[in-house]
Amino acid sequence: MAKEILIKPSLCTGCSTCSLACSMQNRGEFCPSRAHIRITKMDFEGRFEIIFSSSCRGCGICAKSCPSGAIKLIELPEAAG
Amino acid sequence: MTFYGYAGSILDIDLTSGTVRKKDLPEEMARRYLGGLGFNANILYRELNPGTDPLGPDNILVFSTGPLVGTSVPTACRTEASALSPATGLFGTANSGNYWGGELKCAGYDALIIRGRSEKPVFIRICDGSVEILPAGRLWGKDAWDAIKAVRKDQGDSEMQVAVIGQAGENMVRFASIENGPFDAWARTGLGAVMGSKNLKAVAVRGTGGIKVARPKDFSAALDDTRRAINSSPFYEAFKRFGTMLASIPYYEFGSLPGRNYQTGRPENWMETRTRKQLPGLSNRGVSCQACPIACAHWVRVKDGPYAGLELKDMEVTPVIGFGAGCDIGSLPAIAALSGACQRYGMDMVSASACVAFTMEMYQKGIISRDDLGFDLPWGDEEGTFKLLDMIANRRGIGNILAGGTRLASASFPGSEVFSVHVKGLECFLADPRGRWSTWTFGYITNIRGGDHLRTRNPVENLKYNDNPVPYRTEKFGLPDRVYESLDMPPELKKAAFDPDSRDVNIPVMSKWSEDLISIYNSLGMCIRPPVLHTVGPALFSRLTTGLTGLDISPEDIALAGERTWNTVKLFNLKHGEKPEQSDFPPRFYRDRPADPGKEPLDPGAVKAVLGEYYRARGWDPETGVPTPEKLAELGI
Ligand code: SF4
Ligand code: SF4
Ligand code: SF4
Repeated sequence: MAKEILIKPSLCTGCSTCSLACSMQNRGEFCPSRAHIRITKMDFEGRFEIIFSSSCRGCGICAKSCPSGAIKLIELPEAAG
Repeated sequence: MTFYGYAGSILDIDLTSGTVRKKDLPEEMARRYLGGLGFNANILYRELNPGTDPLGPDNILVFSTGPLVGTSVPTACRTEASALSPATGLFGTANSGNYWGGELKCAGYDALIIRGRSEKPVFIRICDGSVEILPAGRLWGKDAWDAIKAVRKDQGDSEMQVAVIGQAGENMVRFASIENGPFDAWARTGLGAVMGSKNLKAVAVRGTGGIKVARPKDFSAALDDTRRAINSSPFYEAFKRFGTMLASIPYYEFGSLPGRNYQTGRPENWMETRTRKQLPGLSNRGVSCQACPIACAHWVRVKDGPYAGLELKDMEVTPVIGFGAGCDIGSLPAIAALSGACQRYGMDMVSASACVAFTMEMYQKGIISRDDLGFDLPWGDEEGTFKLLDMIANRRGIGNILAGGTRLASASFPGSEVFSVHVKGLECFLADPRGRWSTWTFGYITNIRGGDHLRTRNPVENLKYNDNPVPYRTEKFGLPDRVYESLDMPPELKKAAFDPDSRDVNIPVMSKWSEDLISIYNSLGMCIRPPVLHTVGPALFSRLTTGLTGLDISPEDIALAGERTWNTVKLFNLKHGEKPEQSDFPPRFYRDRPADPGKEPLDPGAVKAVLGEYYRARGWDPETGVPTPEKLAELGI
């Protein structure tokens, strides 16, 4: 079944667990600046932007580690076409 | 050597000479003191001589992260800042989360040591390998929020992490904080004044490097188990929603709030105005520190009333208790605005609100009047509170006296001594021990930094009961059995601390353990919020740090490092003149009968007996509280 990452920025708390997890999985170290996902923190406004880079491999590790549901891995039933 | 987990370097900056040195992290220090508080205790105990002026160039300010900081271990984001405290003259220390520590680690440093005093105001800019001391220029004089914005604009980096002081730090208010980004802080014990005395406005950090893992498989398994343990806590969901505001109702019910500067444990209209029940009207989402799934802080938006339009990260119980109970400020939006004011001036909200409450009581009792203040200051007066905070931060009028904290200020106002509720010069916070006797409140007098609630806490604090089955010696354990069973604690200690039949907790033994445990947290870089504190202990920490760093660190090593750290700070305090009689409650708790029915003043004999038992549990002299040579030999200090 195809998988897709669903994004709801309003739920994001800015914790960066996703970019930490991505960098560990895909770069072999904890390094948010080399992750394929970037959380931009606008701390004075309490807002966070979630940006996937074009290099993202779609592995879904970031979504699995997200504690708030701001990024979620969902399965798409192919038949729905 | 190549380090895993640790960045492997310490940055040592002398502001007098303008030199910047990068030193290797000694492996021995990592093994024995872990990081954070442990590093700071070790460095400051070795390097600071008795008689050092806390606000002079010889004081040293250290920021240390922990080995877990910068990884995805839940809540691993914290940095300990320490120096000789201008508030207490003893070990000054504070812990803060947010993103600053993660950034410092990625820049390549586990710790930052700041010495000396710059002739002109400066700020430090750290970008990976590039470290510069730059003129503060127009930053000086700005409040913390404006200074952060200006640094980010000048550096062209909107996400640079900035540790900064406001006007209070510049003016060396003895309880000035170092703000950590706009809404977090190293708040207590006056570290902002130390920064101000060094003419240092800010430390701005950006790091793009990474943290390596020694044994990825082991680490990842330990990480999964840690997540599972934290998520299984009965506090987890509640804390995600309400954060520390969970304490707002039980402490009212115990009659243990510091209402009107500890004159009443149950302020009027509290339940209708200042509890978690009113929170949904102000905030419906959490904001998190790095790597934290809990997001205990709230994003607050005030929609109507005199503070409409105010937006900030807030509604921790700290300002609610300090301003809401202590000064009897009657609404959450007003309290949010006051905490915003403290964040901008860069002042510890606990001591700042205690100073206002102290002044309000002097006004109530006629020790001062409108003529001394320039305005009236009845209980709950919002406008007067804002004015007084401004006078303190800028040292104007009576604010110049209050800027010394309530202990020093009370010397200027005869008759006010009993209104100064402090231990060792640090204003007390949160719970009145006459209304609630527990490991937590007993901890005010054993705390290494003075009258404070964040260094001693029963990890299974029970908010259901308020009984002391054996007065002063025990508290009741009221959580489900599975919580007790899964408590990650050395087995022989668990036996000594809990009586499984009567379900009593032995306060002296539990105090010793909780202090060591919290020292471990503050050293590894983890947050002590309840869902974590009672689920993660030496066993999990050993697996996490060993997997991450590759240094084999057993659960016993972890526990010993916590105890070693606490003892090192105690030795620091003794070296800097702490006297045994200072480990005691302020006179108000012994002399004054609280307004609430059924509450009694504390019994000095019973307090002394329990303190003696605590000293014995620590292996210290039961009379003087001095660590014995045997204990120091055991810890290798
Ligand atoms: S899905 Fe993309 S961003 Fe997420 S962890 Fe995988 S590579 Fe990284
Ligand atoms: S998307 Fe999820 S994991 Fe990433 S920062 Fe936001 S809340 Fe944290
Ligand atoms: S629990 Fe709160 S204070 Fe602790 S790390 Fe998480 S967000 Fe920060």
